[in-house]
Amino acid sequence: MNRRDERLIDVARALFAIGLALAAVALALALLGFAPGPALSALARGSLGSSAALTATVLKSTPLLLTGLGVALCFRCGVWNIGAEGQLLVGALCATAVATRFLTDAPAGVLLPAVVAAGALGGFAVGAIAGALRASRGVSEVISTILLNFVAIQLVALAVHGPLQEAAGAYPKSDPFPAAALLPAIGRWHLGIAIAALLAVATEGLLFRTAVGFRMRAVGLAPRAARFAGISPERIALFTLGLGGALAGLAGAFEVAGVTGQLYEGISPGHGYTAIAVALLAKLHPLAVIPSALFFGALEAGAGAMQREAGVPASVTQIVQGIAILVSATFAVAAGRRRGGMAAGAAADAVEETA
Amino acid sequence: MHSAAVSAVRLRGITKAFTRNVPVLRSVDFEIAAGEIHSLLGENGAGKSTLMNVLVGLVRPDAGTLVVAGEPVEFAAFGPARAARCGIGMVHQHSALVPAMTVVENFAFGDPDGALLFRPARSRSAVQALAERFDFEVPLDRRVEDLSVGERQRAEILRVLGRGARVLILDEPTSVLTPGEILRLFESLRRLREAGCSVVFISHKLGEVEEIADRVTILRRGRVAGVLDIAEADARTLGRKMLGRDFAPLERAGRPSVAAASEPPLLQLHGLSAPGATEASRLRGLELAVGAGEIVGVAGIDGNGQRELEEVLAGVRAPSAGGLRIRGEAVAPGARSLRAAGLAHLSGDRETSGLIAGFSLAENLILKGSYDDRRFFRRGCLDLAAARAAARDVAARYDVTPGDPDADIAVLSGGNAQKLTVARELDGDPEVLVAVNPVRGLDVGAARFVHERLIERRAAGAAILLISTELDEVTALSDRIVALVRGAFVPIPAGADRAEIGAILLGEARA
Repeated sequence: MNRRDERLIDVARALFAIGLALAAVALALALLGFAPGPALSALARGSLGSSAALTATVLKSTPLLLTGLGVALCFRCGVWNIGAEGQLLVGALCATAVATRFLTDAPAGVLLPAVVAAGALGGFAVGAIAGALRASRGVSEVISTILLNFVAIQLVALAVHGPLQEAAGAYPKSDPFPAAALLPAIGRWHLGIAIAALLAVATEGLLFRTAVGFRMRAVGLAPRAARFAGISPERIALFTLGLGGALAGLAGAFEVAGVTGQLYEGISPGHGYTAIAVALLAKLHPLAVIPSALFFGALEAGAGAMQREAGVPASVTQIVQGIAILVSATFAVAAGRRRGGMAAGAAADAVEETA
Repeated sequence: MHSAAVSAVRLRGITKAFTRNVPVLRSVDFEIAAGEIHSLLGENGAGKSTLMNVLVGLVRPDAGTLVVAGEPVEFAAFGPARAARCGIGMVHQHSALVPAMTVVENFAFGDPDGALLFRPARSRSAVQALAERFDFEVPLDRRVEDLSVGERQRAEILRVLGRGARVLILDEPTSVLTPGEILRLFESLRRLREAGCSVVFISHKLGEVEEIADRVTILRRGRVAGVLDIAEADARTLGRKMLGRDFAPLERAGRPSVAAASEPPLLQLHGLSAPGATEASRLRGLELAVGAGEIVGVAGIDGNGQRELEEVLAGVRAPSAGGLRIRGEAVAPGARSLRAAGLAHLSGDRETSGLIAGFSLAENLILKGSYDDRRFFRRGCLDLAAARAAARDVAARYDVTPGDPDADIAVLSGGNAQKLTVARELDGDPEVLVAVNPVRGLDVGAARFVHERLIERRAAGAAILLISTELDEVTALSDRIVALVRGAFVPIPAGADRAEIGAILLGEARA
């Protein structure tokens, strides 16, 4: 079996997982007492049925694409980054600080790049903290990235109640971005969408066409063998977490500078967590993250329509979304475990002889 | 008396292969009489652990029968729980006790009668009775983590006995004990024998086997090489049977012209010390020089510093003192600087240190060049086309099948995978080569191939350090041999025979 066949099987498996997820959604709706037919058709209309629906889907997909890329990159390198949510939030926070406090009066040519860079840097810093803790102290990045999520959530809360709160002081949200800090857009399609898509291509290139990407993949597959080849797994982990964080931070910057135009609590409905499912459904392939993010984005956009048009309450749509995420991610991964060959040989060797 | 006694356990015709073509056990018969201490002796890889794992239900054999106390037992329905009910229990090398619990709590934990309720108090009297009966001194209310190694082992044996074991398997029980503790263990084992229990004592220390065992079964390369009453065996006989002597000698051309004595040796270890995984495997001031056109063999038994030495030579373990010189010049520790200095590393641990499953042949071929190999990596970019072409070429020249450069290395057999490793490490004609168990897990043909390549490099004037736990391999290939025993080199006199070398490796004698 060559790699192209494997790719086809991966795609088939992902489609199967999506089908299964939709079936699970129908079943869950029926069990919760809602007619699956009208609800699902509302979901389809709200995500694909009109140009406005498609726009909504693409807008919801963009932060999922960027965070999903960051997570996929990390998982590929054996780094379990669960912190995309926090990295996204700090990215949004830094972008907002630059746009509404530090460079508010700068011209667009300066302000906009600064806002985007601030977002990426903020996310990078959060990721790098976890990476540095792992590289220097062996702290599990699973723990540190999760905990940093809570720190980031509270940092945003603190900021919008304090230093970044709007001048009016009425609500816990930031001042609106000056026009020069907003991403150029055609209709609601902001520039960040295109950049995110380009970054998916760039990430694919990084992983498969560069020496660094080669080392990253080597560490992800076999850290000990990588060490024998002169590659430092610690350094790779630090680099990868920083890069993954930067991608998530960009997602945050694009949300505030392209969609909401300001920062408030709850700016992310858990994009950074859904990103894990996005990455898994894509089998950690950067290019495959694009369709995977679109699927989850459609689900999110369609859930809104389901609520409005089919009278399904928000809590139920969230339950349904959660089920869809769980089912699709589980089935995309579960059947894909590597079997046979050297792995089985190694296991046998381990049993074979210790005496 | 023992051979006439009732057999407690009888294994017949046990055959097991984990991977195709490499049987670990070949039609092995093994019988334990009631009330005997039976030693299972053999080299690393002889199949001792696999055979015992069959007996405790952890490994299902491909063929063979089992009879316990006269009753035939079907392997199809034989697992660890069933083995325990049959009265077979094993004390593993690695502790199976919960460190944070006291001895009594460990006893109650996993007590089949107390499956639902955790009632340490009830277990207390039972443990105490057992401990008194066999005179096992164990502080019952201390946490396991606070016990000495010897106490922990006694607690472990007690727990296995507490589950009703009548056949007790001890996997290298003395390897962690001090001499005094070993004597105590032996007394306890004799008491168990008096009580009618059977003990299987796994070891490769001949002296201990002579002292404690009634009978001994010797395994060699998955076959029974002999079953002897201890009265009719001495350490020399045991050693010869264990190490064997049936290895066809390789054709080796005479020693090529040696470099002038004034030239520094190609590879030199000077005062090399390094931390180890255990006290016994810490490297202690190693001194060695390997000249051009020379294979120096490092013989020894696993756990005496082999792994640590390999890691230092591969640049993934930092020495604590001393270091390496190549062509007389000190080399900074690190895999990249060693490689740049011309040292190649051929490892038998393909799965963990040589190759990457999930990477293709091409990717594995270029694995070590990601920093400095301009053929495949230029200006930070990976030239996969060049790598694939090189892999296709290498696969043809080294007869690697399948030779598809895009095939996952995991689909290759051990022999073919090792051929690729050989190609990667030797194709640049390295002047200095470290080969560590280079034919581990390979069948005869593949092993031969690898050995011939090593001899070729020697003929071409390379300095080769061969570290192997296979004494046959070391003696067949090496110009000189040293033994690595407890992290230090022990010289082996020229002309020493197998039994003498065996004694040195086992730490029984100092040359």
